[in-house]
Amino acid sequence: MTRHMRMPGRLAQDGPSVSAARRHLGRRIGCALIVAVAGVALGLSVHHGLQTTTALLRPRSVRQSLVADRQEECIYRAIRSDLPQGAAVYINDQVHIQRLAELSTLWAVPQPSRATARWTIALVPDSSGVPASHARGRCYGLALEVRRA
Amino acid sequence: MTELLVVIVGLGAPGFLLALAVAGASPVLVFLTPLIGAGLAAVAAVLELGVGGSLFAWYVVVAVIANVAVVALWLAHVRFPTPPDPPWEWSILTLAVVLLALMIPLMALRAELIGGDANSIWLTHALMVSGGHHALVTGLKNPVYSFSNPDYPPLVPAAGALAFALFGRGDLHIAPGTTVLLNACALGAVGTGIAALGGGRRQLTRLGGVAAAGVICLVGFAVAGQFGVDGYTDLLWAAAAVAAVIWGLVLPRSTQALVIAWICAGVATLTKNEGLTTGLALLVLIALRYRPLTLSWVRRLGRHSAGKRFGGVAAWPVTREWAQRAAFVVLPALPGLAWTGVIRRLGLSDRFFQSPSSETLVLRAHATLDGMAGQLAVAPVAAAVLVAGCCLLRRDRERAGFGNPAWLWLSCLASLLTIFATYVFGGFEIYGWLAYSVNRTTIFAQLLLYAELAIWLVIALDTAFADDRVEQRNVSPAAVSVAGRRS
Repeated sequence: MTRHMRMPGRLAQDGPSVSAARRHLGRRIGCALIVAVAGVALGLSVHHGLQTTTALLRPRSVRQSLVADRQEECIYRAIRSDLPQGAAVYINDQVHIQRLAELSTLWAVPQPSRATARWTIALVPDSSGVPASHARGRCYGLALEVRRA
Repeated sequence: MTELLVVIVGLGAPGFLLALAVAGASPVLVFLTPLIGAGLAAVAAVLELGVGGSLFAWYVVVAVIANVAVVALWLAHVRFPTPPDPPWEWSILTLAVVLLALMIPLMALRAELIGGDANSIWLTHALMVSGGHHALVTGLKNPVYSFSNPDYPPLVPAAGALAFALFGRGDLHIAPGTTVLLNACALGAVGTGIAALGGGRRQLTRLGGVAAAGVICLVGFAVAGQFGVDGYTDLLWAAAAVAAVIWGLVLPRSTQALVIAWICAGVATLTKNEGLTTGLALLVLIALRYRPLTLSWVRRLGRHSAGKRFGGVAAWPVTREWAQRAAFVVLPALPGLAWTGVIRRLGLSDRFFQSPSSETLVLRAHATLDGMAGQLAVAPVAAAVLVAGCCLLRRDRERAGFGNPAWLWLSCLASLLTIFATYVFGGFEIYGWLAYSVNRTTIFAQLLLYAELAIWLVIALDTAFADDRVEQRNVSPAAVSVAGRRS
């Protein structure tokens, strides 16, 4: 009370500046919170992404995907070496029907029914132990079976 | 990898002049160029399917027409009113950070991942497109290939077919590899957009913007997981659509930002059916931001009915405004809509809706909500940051000229609602369908919400640094006087 009476002018000047300082402080805390929350969320996602990349690059994963890739290309070439171009084929293999249809594209013409096909194709397990060779239709554990319809 | 880089350069070469005309010396130029090239390839594929001939012949025609048009505009002194280019050292820093961030997940290309939709849809379609009109039409209409979603848009197959045209069909992996690099380019467009948020501000904010740009590129691949690097196209349409949101609905309005947003939305519409619906929704929102709805047309029409003699004159500006809005939507989406038209003419349709489901709509809706919510863990965090940002930083955001956050959230909602409706009204068994796809169909929403976090982060950094300076300015005279007294 005494202070109020001594320096009323000073108090009138300090009031707004104190509230402005508080407002600044509040804004800075708010900004810091936004930066922190956004930073943590983004950081966690980046961490997750790096883990995914690391997992994909593990030697075992790389080996597995390389084998799958080679198998795919081997079957693709086997179709091109074992069938004449434009052959009407029936895919007699419900498990690998998509795979064989996609790898036949632009070479053989998959038929919806056996009646219109000249050839039937399927992928069968290859336990011969012979090294992969598309010329013999053997592709990393699978073999392309081609028959006249 | 070298072959893939050659493919990207080959894709980019015909798009370079267009990208340069739009982006100038901005770092987005590097990422926009291959995306434009892929877009031109998609237009060529639409013509291959609709008119006849081969992809490569149409690609040459489309590229020549596009480049001649740019040169003609250049010679006629027609220029995009582009904002001043950022200082070259900032452009280089942004480019370096974004490229470095993209290279980390791209290391997974060493594993040569392939399989799933990358094979059964995209590789199959790329082979069909590379075979010419007859092979494409007979392939898409062959019922054996119905598993490959024959109605899907042509951008990725066209880019893959161009890769085959350059290197032959001996190495199948080159087509999905091209898709992965296009994914990276679309994310690069997102990153450079985020970096542009800090442009023209104080150095610390700029640095924050550049760092956020690198982070969002890493986040894009993180959200997509394995699907970002094995030839799936979900990240491509999602990242292109997020780039369209940032350039068209967040960054300050300019002709440059608008055209970049159109290109990115166009890429999204040409990549996947979800991209087509989301891209159309984004184009509508962008049109409304650049040509806002006002009540002036009601007043004009009121005047028109009051004095019918001048009716035609009064109605003209209203008609013109609506025509502009329609053009803003239709022009960038034209290739995607043309593809859909040609596909419908061939009698092909979306197989999701071909057979009715035996499950009830309530069950499907419940399962879909559960499935989608499981993927959107970031949504509550983004919503909290949105609320805090709107309370504290709304004026700073307005002063910077950035779009209202409602645009971004509306984009997110529009995409999620479309995908929700597809799951609910589609014909596939819902649980299997969700398990197989919901993590991919929500990539756009997830990435967009992470981008929202990055946007608020840059604005908060700018405000914090600005407040620092204001405080320093307020405090410094007092500090001087105190120092004076002490001395």
